[in-house]
Amino acid sequence: MDIDSLLNTLDTCGQLGLVLSTEESLTLYNSLLLLQNENHFRKAFFWGRIFGHEKDYYVAYGYTNDVLLNRVFYYSTNCRDWGLLPRPTDKALLLTPLCTSKFQGDPALVVDILIEKDEISIGEKLKAPQVRQLKEEDRLAAAIHLINEEAVVVPRGVLFQRPDGVVVENLSFEGLSYLEAMEVKSFLHYRKARNKWNTNLLTRNDYNYAIDFLDCADEDVPEGCFVTQISPGGIYVVVQSLYWTGFMLYHKIGTPIYGYAYFGNGRKCFNLPFMLQLL
Amino acid sequence: MYDHLTDVLNKILAERPENVIDFFEEYSRKVKEKRFKPLTDHLEDIYVSPLRYELARKWQPLLRPLPVDEPSTMDPEDQEIADMTRNDMLQLQYYFEMAAFGLPRTEMFAILLSMMRLIKKEPVVSIRFWGKIYGLYRNYLVVETDLKEEEYMKKNENFLEELKLKEEAKALEEAAKLELATQEIKGEENTTGIPRPLPPEPVNLYEEEPEAPDEPAGVGVNKKVYYVCHEVGDDWIQLPEVTAKQIRVSRLIRKSFTGSLEQKVDVYPEFPGNEMNLLRAQIGRISAGTHISPLGFYTFGGEGGEEEEEEEAEEEEGGGGSKTTYRENMRFEGVAIRDLIDSSMSFWVHHALNILPQGRTTWWNPYPQEMDEEMGEEEEEKERKIGPEPETGPPLLTPLSEDSALETIRPWSVRSSSNIMQNYAIAIVRSNIWPGAFCFSNQGKIFQNIYLGDGLKQLAQTFSPKPLPPVQQDYPIGPEIMEIDDPTGAEEEAWRIAHLPKEKPPADEMAEEEEEEDEDDEDDDDDDDDDD
Repeated sequence: MDIDSLLNTLDTCGQLGLVLSTEESLTLYNSLLLLQNENHFRKAFFWGRIFGHEKDYYVAYGYTNDVLLNRVFYYSTNCRDWGLLPRPTDKALLLTPLCTSKFQGDPALVVDILIEKDEISIGEKLKAPQVRQLKEEDRLAAAIHLINEEAVVVPRGVLFQRPDGVVVENLSFEGLSYLEAMEVKSFLHYRKARNKWNTNLLTRNDYNYAIDFLDCADEDVPEGCFVTQISPGGIYVVVQSLYWTGFMLYHKIGTPIYGYAYFGNGRKCFNLPFMLQLL
Repeated sequence: MYDHLTDVLNKILAERPENVIDFFEEYSRKVKEKRFKPLTDHLEDIYVSPLRYELARKWQPLLRPLPVDEPSTMDPEDQEIADMTRNDMLQLQYYFEMAAFGLPRTEMFAILLSMMRLIKKEPVVSIRFWGKIYGLYRNYLVVETDLKEEEYMKKNENFLEELKLKEEAKALEEAAKLELATQEIKGEENTTGIPRPLPPEPVNLYEEEPEAPDEPAGVGVNKKVYYVCHEVGDDWIQLPEVTAKQIRVSRLIRKSFTGSLEQKVDVYPEFPGNEMNLLRAQIGRISAGTHISPLGFYTFGGEGGEEEEEEEAEEEEGGGGSKTTYRENMRFEGVAIRDLIDSSMSFWVHHALNILPQGRTTWWNPYPQEMDEEMGEEEEEKERKIGPEPETGPPLLTPLSEDSALETIRPWSVRSSSNIMQNYAIAIVRSNIWPGAFCFSNQGKIFQNIYLGDGLKQLAQTFSPKPLPPVQQDYPIGPEIMEIDDPTGAEEEAWRIAHLPKEKPPADEMAEEEEEEDEDDEDDDDDDDDDD
């Protein structure tokens, strides 16, 4: 969410129960403005909060030119002092899903990860259990990367691709209508498109080259891994990812107000297929 | 083209949006879209009421002041109107927001109003906002109440009757089974000769483990009564009592709530009841796991030392008679914030009873009679080993430092709400085992537990459902059911030659062959009637 909406999280993020306290939001508001100024960001955003045992990680990002490609992430444990988030290493991306412990809140901590026998996700099949080590900072980077890739969605029409390929925020976005907001199809992944450009275009009747360049959230498997809920009175729509519980997108229906945040423990929920229940 | 351009320019000049060059196509498209809409739409006249209208109508009765009660002659203490002094939701809201969780302000206020309606309508003695459970399609708001004594009595009458009915039904079933069995045996006796007698019917050796009886209303897991509703302004629905089995099964499954109370829970092992029961079971488990208070806020009453001794004595008796009641400590002086945010968690205690693996808060002996008989006999030591060991849990008001960790995950995280203003800071406790369960306390004077989550327990490893039981044997393994290769032509020939009578007329040989063939067929399925 952008820094202007930080001060009123109760009505927006409060839909799912987790908010920023007054002190936190005020500190974040100021420190993010400073961060934006130092880095010459066009705009700075608050990304979310990952709960650790001792301390929590606050994550923010800003972009300079391109909303999609030029994002730079920062993290902090006290809302004031920001550190640059490293790029996720391949090793960390492999090991993070296997790590079952909770984040501690100390970026320099090295955690041991026990890899069970017969684990196949790290390449070849292991013949014996193995212990590997991972720094918590790398784990944090990998977790944020994975959440960005898999969970973060935005309403359709928020991002606009200019003819020269640069992605900007759509100034003429007027908000989703009530009926659109109920469908998962009107929410797009905030990541570099994985599908071919014409796949994303042709799945819609009212396609638009400038808007439909992102992957649609309703293609994710299993069906129902994103849920949309309309708040009483049809004022807000809240989209949650069930794989990354804690991710929420709010959008005030019929207005350009939207924002997303992740408040969670940074672990993917692999139990989703057991939990889903269709009406 | 000219018309279109003038329209677009018109729109842009009228609205003067920022950065028109980049979004020119977008504006042009919007103007085009408008042109496609028929100008003479006769349906437009119908007024579609906005959705917020529904909401406004729902809230309207809540926002009217409550009708003033007629002055009654009864003593105010006898009226038993629930105490709302600890339910000032807006005050709680202030603390919740400080602790970085909470619901929208309007919602909190409306919950308070609707709780005030509830205590007028239902026989409630005390009430507390328990939390919110997020389902896939709709959510549940939950309040926790204590009912009046009479209500519990009423419920328990029904409860006992139902128990009796259940027992009778069981007895009937068993009788029916017995009858069936005897009939079958008789049936078999009648069919002697041809067709050959079948092997005896397989006997079902499986005995269901004796089911722990449920706790009656007002006791143990059913101590509190919960009301839920989907949105503020809906009617509160009372949840049914939870049974021991429901709690045990709910520990083995992992299912999201859909938001419909009547929804069938489609799981293995089968869950007895629908989502309403699952919701109640989960609420019970969450309450048992996460309801905590600062040390000393509640006491057992009476002086400490004797109490403990008594307690121990009771426990030794084996009746599972640990203390189940507590009351507020009038002389409580508060705990310093420094102690409350101590990560050893020894200044926080559980004030909800632990639920045993059996699904009850007190242990129930499944084989009471056997135990007694065995105790009377000589070999006491042996039998003690065979007899079930009583399940024990931590007693009431045990510090959180005793809680067991979930593999590498420590059960509680504690924070101070502020780094800047130490004087006004409050302590926040988060449960890592039930994500979404919070408690805050300001120096121990005010504290509140709340749950805002999806109603699922954190697992250390990924969830794996209970495997299906191994396939059971229908028939005892014997020659009748063994799979044997058919004899090949050569083997048959060899057998025939081996059994060939040495000197007999050819007519006999023919008969012999026929017999052989018969036997071969029978060999495959039945060895019993070898006539040889």
